[in-house]
Amino acid sequence: MKIRILSIIMVMVLSVSGCRDVLDLRPLDKLDGETLFATPEGVRVYLANLYGQLPIEDFSFGRLGFNTANINTAGIAPATQTDDAANSEFSHLLDGGGNFQWWDPGYKLIRDINLLLETIPTVSSLNDADKATLLSEGHFLRAFTYFALVKRYGGVPLITSVQQYTPDVESLKVPRSTEQETWDFVLGECDAAIENLPTSRTEDNRRATKWVAYALKSRVALHAASLAKYWSKAPLSGPAVSQGLVGLESSLANHYYEQCIEASRKIMDEGGFSLHKPTPASPEEATANYMELFQNPNGAANEVIFTKGYTNPGSSGHSYDFWFNPNQTSDGAPHPGRMNPTLDFVDLYESYSNPGQRAPIVTTTDGNVNDYNGFNPSKTYLRFDTPYDIFKDKDARLWATVVLPGTEWKGKTIIIQGGYIQPDGTPKIETKDEIAVNGVTYYTYGAANWANYSGFEVYLGNMTRTGFSFKKFLSPNPVPPNLTYSTTDWIEFRYAEILLNYAEAVVESNYTANNAQATAKDAINAIRSRAGHTVDIELSLENVLRERRVELAFENKRYWDLVRRRDYHEVFNNTIRKALVPILDLRVSPAKYIFVRKNLSRENPLTFPTNFYYAHIPGVGANGLVQNPQY
Amino acid sequence: MKKIAINIKQVLAIAILVVTASACELDNYDAPNAQLSGTIIDEETNELVEQDIIRGTTIKIIEHGYDPVQPQYLRVKNDGTYANTLLFANTYTIQPELRNFVQVAEQEIQIGSDTKLDFRVQPYIRVKDASIVKEGTKIVATFKLQQTVPEVVSRIGLYAHAEPIVGEPIRSVASETQLGRTVDEDETFTLVIDAAENRAALKSGSQYFFRIGAVITVPEAKFNYAPAIRLTID
Repeated sequence: MKIRILSIIMVMVLSVSGCRDVLDLRPLDKLDGETLFATPEGVRVYLANLYGQLPIEDFSFGRLGFNTANINTAGIAPATQTDDAANSEFSHLLDGGGNFQWWDPGYKLIRDINLLLETIPTVSSLNDADKATLLSEGHFLRAFTYFALVKRYGGVPLITSVQQYTPDVESLKVPRSTEQETWDFVLGECDAAIENLPTSRTEDNRRATKWVAYALKSRVALHAASLAKYWSKAPLSGPAVSQGLVGLESSLANHYYEQCIEASRKIMDEGGFSLHKPTPASPEEATANYMELFQNPNGAANEVIFTKGYTNPGSSGHSYDFWFNPNQTSDGAPHPGRMNPTLDFVDLYESYSNPGQRAPIVTTTDGNVNDYNGFNPSKTYLRFDTPYDIFKDKDARLWATVVLPGTEWKGKTIIIQGGYIQPDGTPKIETKDEIAVNGVTYYTYGAANWANYSGFEVYLGNMTRTGFSFKKFLSPNPVPPNLTYSTTDWIEFRYAEILLNYAEAVVESNYTANNAQATAKDAINAIRSRAGHTVDIELSLENVLRERRVELAFENKRYWDLVRRRDYHEVFNNTIRKALVPILDLRVSPAKYIFVRKNLSRENPLTFPTNFYYAHIPGVGANGLVQNPQY
Repeated sequence: MKKIAINIKQVLAIAILVVTASACELDNYDAPNAQLSGTIIDEETNELVEQDIIRGTTIKIIEHGYDPVQPQYLRVKNDGTYANTLLFANTYTIQPELRNFVQVAEQEIQIGSDTKLDFRVQPYIRVKDASIVKEGTKIVATFKLQQTVPEVVSRIGLYAHAEPIVGEPIRSVASETQLGRTVDEDETFTLVIDAAENRAALKSGSQYFFRIGAVITVPEAKFNYAPAIRLTID
């Protein structure tokens, strides 16, 4: 009985105490905006998270997404989706926007940015100037994020405030804006960023400045302008097109080109930037200067506008040295040699003796550079003493970007050889063999042991199959043979890109105000001078585009250049990329090198269907959005 | 002792096999019970309209009774016939989507055990008087084009491949001309592939298929073709 009374009292006490607000505690594992943004450290923590999520197409970006340096990507880089390079192991099909899917992460980031933009004005501890700067920084981040969405999907839903959860899901659905509205929104966000960002920062100097926002605007406007001008090269149809969700009117092209010109010119006139070491004494010096720019961007502060840093080897590094060293300098990494620049790309570089022209590698006396059928005994091949003499006179940047056969890299002579011609004239090409001639043993791949050469054998997929290996961005020092041990920093915006954006926009729109034609010509020639050229070339679309491709090679621009100019489906239409095979000619003594231009071995013909210009929008059944054409 | 241990392992292995195999029971869903097949026919000449087997004409079919519903797309064979033998009997809305002919109206159709549906269409381009002959190592194609819509003919081509499914998307060698203009039906076009210049793809003594194609500048238009011809290369 007593026990029953006791328990009744207990229950009463407990339930009465439950009526107090003891449960209305502030959560201990979350901070509200007021607390978080009350201190500069809190602001930095929140912003560091946003910058970390920013869709920067850097060393850690690829077909598996952003920040994937710690994943086995098979060394498939964005460049191997283009005509600049092939992967040594896989002849993988081209990815459309589809495999670069970035929808959910994009909108999560936008929500985080919107939270920042809505919270900042309410924080009492910040003064108005700080608030304005932070808001502009938020607009920069939002511009960067929407740019990544619009170039993949076309017009997208513009979410500009933090949506609150409600059981009425329909009210949360935002339809797609037109592609034009979306581009204009991104450009407007750039303007909002430019407005109050500082021109420089003394601390946290990797955060956005006014010039970074101008640089973004330059890139965005050029992309939009090119789309407007060239969209009809690959027209699409269907509801998304008829509603304007994809596609831009060609009449908008000059409007966007002018925005690119103005933003670029602002940086050129007022930004105080310049090219890193602009006047080399010789091509050799130009090669060294260009390599140093990418091996340590921090030593080129005058050229670099915006960097993404890599600090901790083993956790937050990237994996370029792991995947892309030639086989001989892998430092023990099991899968090197994956990046193989193509002959198509190498051909593009000018020679110093014939400025303003691409200089395809001539291998035969007939000068035919369009025969890719392989070794033909009836042809007369040019003979060279070394495997690299054939590239002499080519642009310094080729030597700085590509490991050419027989050149030095990380203290080793990189041997890239595809076979030999026996003294009796029998060719042994892309097959493992050896032969003794006058007491000397020759090997088809240039050495007896696979560890001592870097080309053409199928072994492990470690050998280049184009005849070229890759070194731009790679460390000249040993790097531990694991993923995420590379710490070279990534340059997202640099001055040379701004000059090239400007020149392209001026040429494409035939813009003349403000002495634009002469300024644009000076811009591309300044970049060429830095590469050791001494003769200026004319301002023409062909010259600007070639210059852009070689100067910005492997900086993950080529994919989007092919997309925005609607060149992808023409460049890749049953296309087989090309190789240059160095072959030791034993018909003569001493043996000499000959070279064969041929279709890449183990390569599928690649095609870019025109619907790939827009990615497929995920989840249309639930989100109710209009799907892009042909998905 | 050792022998017993092995026996236990064997017993275990058999037991696992039995358990996993018993999981292989068939599901209790009905099997597809309907078929749709047909042709794409030129309404004027009553000939089949030649197609591509990849990146070619597609037919969109939408099954009724589901919302939201994911459309299904049928591919068409090179000769202009198509078939899907694994459908479920139901009412469907059908319309070609990507195509090399002028769009035809959407139609509702009851698909049953063996439903036939032919599309009578107006191809964008008719390849007329096509001839592909061998002259030494050269393959010479001559033909005329009749365009049925006002847009310009953007490209014409002669395509070669070892398989009869040759076309613009499937070829090892192509000889193409960017036209970019309208054509008169009396104009004769000539395209040449020289096997001697393409020995990596066209081996002497082997047989290859050759096909003439042309494409109009209508958005997303697919190629129109003449039938493929088989020739032995010298």
